[in-house]
Amino acid sequence: MKTRSRIATALAAASLIALTGCGANAGATNASAGDFPKKGKTIDLVVAFSSGGAVDTAARLIQPILEKELGTNVEVINKPGAGGQIGYTQLTSAAPDGYTIGATGSPSVVVSPLDPARGAKYTRDSFQPLGRQVIDPTVIAVQPDSPYKTLKELLDAAKANPKSLTASTTGLQTGEHFALAQIQESTSSEFAPVHFSEGASQATTAFLGKHVDVLVANVSDVTDLTKQGKARVLGVMTSERAPSLPDIPTFKEAGYDLEAGTVRGYSAPAGLPAEVAKKLEAAIKTAIEDPTVKEKMSALGLQTSYLSGEDYKQFWAGQEEDFKKVLPLVQKTN
Amino acid sequence: MDTLNELLNGFAAAMTWQNLLFAFLGCLLGTIIGVLPGIGPVAGVALLIPLTLNLDATGAIIMLCAIFYGTAYGGTITSVLLNTPGEAASAITTIDGYAMTKIGKAGAALTIAAVGSFVGGTVATIGLVAAAKPLGELGLLVGPPEFFALMVVGISLLVALAGKSMVKAVISGALGLLIAMVGIDPVAGAPRFTFGMDRLLDGVSFVAVIVGVFGLSELLSYRKDTATPTVHAPNLRSLLPTRGEWRRSAPAMARGTGIGFGLGLIPGMTGSVSSLLAYGAEKKFSRHRHELGKGAIEGVAGPETANNSHANAALIPLFTLGIPASPTIAVLMGAFLQQGLTPGPTLFTEHSEIAWAIIASLFIGNLLLLLLNVPLVGLWTSILRVPSSILTALILLFMVIGAYTINFSVFDVFVMIGFGLLGLALRHLDIPLAPMVLTLVLGPLMERSLRESLEISQGDFSIFTSRPISAVLIGLGLLIVFSPLLKLRKPKALNEDPET
Repeated sequence: MKTRSRIATALAAASLIALTGCGANAGATNASAGDFPKKGKTIDLVVAFSSGGAVDTAARLIQPILEKELGTNVEVINKPGAGGQIGYTQLTSAAPDGYTIGATGSPSVVVSPLDPARGAKYTRDSFQPLGRQVIDPTVIAVQPDSPYKTLKELLDAAKANPKSLTASTTGLQTGEHFALAQIQESTSSEFAPVHFSEGASQATTAFLGKHVDVLVANVSDVTDLTKQGKARVLGVMTSERAPSLPDIPTFKEAGYDLEAGTVRGYSAPAGLPAEVAKKLEAAIKTAIEDPTVKEKMSALGLQTSYLSGEDYKQFWAGQEEDFKKVLPLVQKTN
Repeated sequence: MDTLNELLNGFAAAMTWQNLLFAFLGCLLGTIIGVLPGIGPVAGVALLIPLTLNLDATGAIIMLCAIFYGTAYGGTITSVLLNTPGEAASAITTIDGYAMTKIGKAGAALTIAAVGSFVGGTVATIGLVAAAKPLGELGLLVGPPEFFALMVVGISLLVALAGKSMVKAVISGALGLLIAMVGIDPVAGAPRFTFGMDRLLDGVSFVAVIVGVFGLSELLSYRKDTATPTVHAPNLRSLLPTRGEWRRSAPAMARGTGIGFGLGLIPGMTGSVSSLLAYGAEKKFSRHRHELGKGAIEGVAGPETANNSHANAALIPLFTLGIPASPTIAVLMGAFLQQGLTPGPTLFTEHSEIAWAIIASLFIGNLLLLLLNVPLVGLWTSILRVPSSILTALILLFMVIGAYTINFSVFDVFVMIGFGLLGLALRHLDIPLAPMVLTLVLGPLMERSLRESLEISQGDFSIFTSRPISAVLIGLGLLIVFSPLLKLRKPKALNEDPET
């Protein structure tokens, strides 16, 4: 039904453009916080990645619960491209009235503003975090028949012969690229990064076809591969073992104090009225912690790890500091 | 055999009246969505996912798969009738499909397209049943260097698409590459050719470009004297292809099936590449190649068969490896996940009944699409009876809607208009449009795979010649380019203009 109304809206809007020759841009009305959300007024949930990916799936899983909690339509809108920059630009330039919220994932949302070359029109302060949903730690995996059986063996080999082993990333300045930089900075083990800018599925394909030696990915990407025996995960970059990979040691256990991963949550443009923020935060909390949602997330190898808006904000700031440290390394290595 | 048993069980599950209804609805909705220019398979499936959320997993996936190939066919209808491709994979069909419409053979073109889609889709599904596993592994052999070599073969088809003048074809091809370069530079990560506009960070929307270049420029170049002939009211006999047309279509369909199937197995390859290569193959191998561009049935049969074969073959990597091979399949995969199904080999071990029901439904869906669309060909072609003034206005409206709905952005409407003007200019200069579309599709893929290959080899170009598959493909590409010089083929074959 929603689809129909969306198509109808599109038709109407498009015919309006066609007829009048100008863009119809309905000005956002100033929401008085008390009656938020107005019945029948749709809340847009902007996803800065294409449909079908992990961020999109998570957003679509919480969407029905958000609708129930808020009592109005919530529509997931995909604005993919430029490593999330397009969607984030759209989110931060929307009116802070609660009717536009978005999924925010790091490092993408953290990184783009740090590099002036990317010309991002937003900074961390342009977002008002509403809640964190998941942490998806970075893992390092090798081919099942690889001579490297432990993380130490692999890292020592990359240290002895820098750039002799190729390692996948999902593009320049992505989480995987930063993880490789962190490894290089603290262990002097240097891999030759191969950037698969189309994302994790392309990187995984290349790894399965043995076109790259090392797969740098998230826990959720390798959970299934591990079950099928198609990848040997050597280490998880987090302080505790991942529930979906209980046999895999963490980097810390292997003697490397390194953490990295993708973190996803939800945010609004900065400047939300306190009342509206409170309502949205509560609805998002309920949706994230819904048992069915949690169950479906864990089936995908994603570990729900809720944080309130304020805590998510603190966490985000911490991440930014970490990334700043290795940024020169990431910008240099191409 | 085990497989056969499971398939039959799958048919039993797929043939409940509810599931048949879902398949039917999916085909119908898909066709309608495909008819609207701009809303291609990706957007079509994504828009309709919410409709399926409350269905059980089997029904939901059956419906989405039906929408998926329904949109592919719907896109053909506008390509043939209105010279406006509904989606990228049908862009090449405009050349001969629309030429057929102009000579009053729209019905035959649409019927052949429907039959070709059925043949391609069904053969690919049989392939999925028979050899899913080994074929899935085969796709993995194609790494970045092999992918790049495939793109070289594709670009070498510029020769086949050259038209009257090679120089003009190269100009057109270069324009396509220039347009493809707009956006984030994949090597440096910095924006290039965006003129400081955020909107251009993700490049120019491909659909907006093709709708503008093909559709709008066609509309703009209408003159009083040329506008009327397009409104041929087709008589009943012209709805059905003649025996000669069937005979000519059969080999084209066979070639299209092979090309689509082979390329569909390769993750990252899009259906438009398949249809472009299939058209190129007809240009090279058809016995009537000199007629291509003037309304030759092969120019419809080949690409249309190829893109459906491709679409179904692209499900093989999803089912066997859990890898979405194209954006549409990625959307489909999202729907699988939402239904609690993880695509990949475990799908067959953990949800065997659902997996086989889906495969069975692919056969049913392909058949339904044929049954639904052949009788409807009359209805679609009657669109042409609408007076041209009203039709023109309607087409314009659809093009604007189409361009707008890609990203729900007015910017794309302006992109469409801009490229419509460019297309008009190119038509006046007699520069063929097809090479531009070819490089627009292949350029980014080529750049990406080149970059990845050189990262793997750390800058050593010999990676392309030292790997057997890529070496053979690059050799083939060179052969295609230089074969006219060696006079292996009658040079006359290259002197035809694919644009008329």
